[in-house]
Amino acid sequence: MTAFTVENVKKTFTNGEIEEQVLNGVNLALKEGEITALVGASGSGKSTLLTIAAGLQHASAGQVMFQGKNLTNMKQEEIRKVRAQDFGFVFQASHLVPFLTVEEQLLLMLDVSEKRMHKQEKKKRITSMLQLVEMEHRKDAYPSSLSGGEKQRVAIARAIIHEPKLLFADEPTASLDSKRSQDVMELIRELTKTLHITTLMVTHDEEMLPYADRIITMKDGLIV
Amino acid sequence: MKMAWKEIKKSKAKFIILGSIVFLVSLLTFIISGLANGLSMDNAALIKDMPAGQFYMDENAKETYNLSKIDEDTEKHVHKEYPDAAAFSIQMGFVVDGNDDQHSVSFVTSTESDLFENVNDGEIILDRSMQEDGIQVGDKLTNNQYSGEFTVKGFVDQKKYSHTPVAFISMDNYKEMYRTNHMQLLFIPGQDKAETINGLEAFSNTAFLDTIPSYSAEQMSLNMIIWFLVIISGMLFAIFFYMMNVQKIGLYGILKAIGVKTRTLFGMMWSQMLLITAIALVLSVSFSHLFNRVAPDGMPFDLGLETTLQLSGLFIVIGFIGATLSGIQIKRVEPLQAIQQGEM
Repeated sequence: MTAFTVENVKKTFTNGEIEEQVLNGVNLALKEGEITALVGASGSGKSTLLTIAAGLQHASAGQVMFQGKNLTNMKQEEIRKVRAQDFGFVFQASHLVPFLTVEEQLLLMLDVSEKRMHKQEKKKRITSMLQLVEMEHRKDAYPSSLSGGEKQRVAIARAIIHEPKLLFADEPTASLDSKRSQDVMELIRELTKTLHITTLMVTHDEEMLPYADRIITMKDGLIV
Repeated sequence: MKMAWKEIKKSKAKFIILGSIVFLVSLLTFIISGLANGLSMDNAALIKDMPAGQFYMDENAKETYNLSKIDEDTEKHVHKEYPDAAAFSIQMGFVVDGNDDQHSVSFVTSTESDLFENVNDGEIILDRSMQEDGIQVGDKLTNNQYSGEFTVKGFVDQKKYSHTPVAFISMDNYKEMYRTNHMQLLFIPGQDKAETINGLEAFSNTAFLDTIPSYSAEQMSLNMIIWFLVIISGMLFAIFFYMMNVQKIGLYGILKAIGVKTRTLFGMMWSQMLLITAIALVLSVSFSHLFNRVAPDGMPFDLGLETTLQLSGLFIVIGFIGATLSGIQIKRVEPLQAIQQGEM
């Protein structure tokens, strides 16, 4: 079943008098629970497509359909709500909040997603999520004391603690070494399959491709 | 979740620096305000403590009460119309005590009124600060313009004029000393609006204070310093939060990307501002009141509750404006910007 569609999306950047067409009418449908990897050379438009799909920037034309609604027509507040409740994000850098402990990072996400949960229930979910990402023993640690791999594990836990329908991952292993990259990808696969989360991932690392269910290659702003 | 507090706890040094600056600026403001009020009372407590009403002086006196002479007929007419009105005069002078020490005073005399001390001929009632100079009830004081001796009848609190203690004397003694049969001023209590009295010019309490030589110049200078400090504190907030916000642009972008509301981020900044200002104000108010206790006797210092609350409120409002102006960046920050940046 299709969870998300991108229909004829175009994106043009204007720099002075120069216009650059980054996306030339992209069509994409993501199937529920599937991990889709977007690959392609630098400048092929894969990151732009991911950020438009995630509601982080507007398309110049086309539609992004999610649960029967067109994200491109939504007001800022509506998009924010979708991002908070239905989307999860893992970025190249972990981007954890420097003054919150590991446990508090997850609590923040639960609060932001406005999940109606009792305090105890939240605590229970955080504990089980930290167990899943094997970070329970570091729950009181601040990001500054975590290793790169640990930070990315926490970032993944933060991205899915509120059980989003879609996970957007922009080069989630780019800052990690090979061993840690594989660990992180295994974790993403395991968690998204367990929680039935649809994933769109941008990567340039071919070693990560076996973890995807579908691989889409982009070139010059088009899916090839 | 109390993110604002978490950040303060994690970045103590940063917030202690801001808090210390706000504390020092507000402490200085409170002290200068206390001195301004103190000087104001030292200069014109006699007038400031009078009830609201209208002062009248000779229209030819060029707003200088020293030059004013109230015509006796006018005085009688006003007294008839307004029984609680008082005619009074103020003259700078001095008294000499038994040890031949001279003390500057402002001689004040008035027609019979509840607003002024009424004394008999040969008696004098002094501001309590004279007691601190060693003068006692029953002491004899002289003045070279007065043929007799003044017997100290008592002391009154907070009666100062032109930075000198007030000395209440009888009208007859005053007339002898200053060779005049006229009072300088008329005061009608409870009058909101000035009456037109032939040959007289009316002044409200505030307007009359401004006719006192040096009063407005002194107050304006001090008030200018106070406002300057208040504006500086607002700018400090704006600059400090601007710098902090610039450092946190990436963080704000990420928080916005994951769905944190812009107003939550503003709320975080406002609570930090409020908490720091409140702590700084509690400390500066405590220290300024402590200063009030240890300030040398010669230093007029008067910091009342009303002024303290007004200034505290002003600091909070200014801090709020400063922080909000700098927080416009929070509204502008795009989540995408932050994602394209590296680790924060």
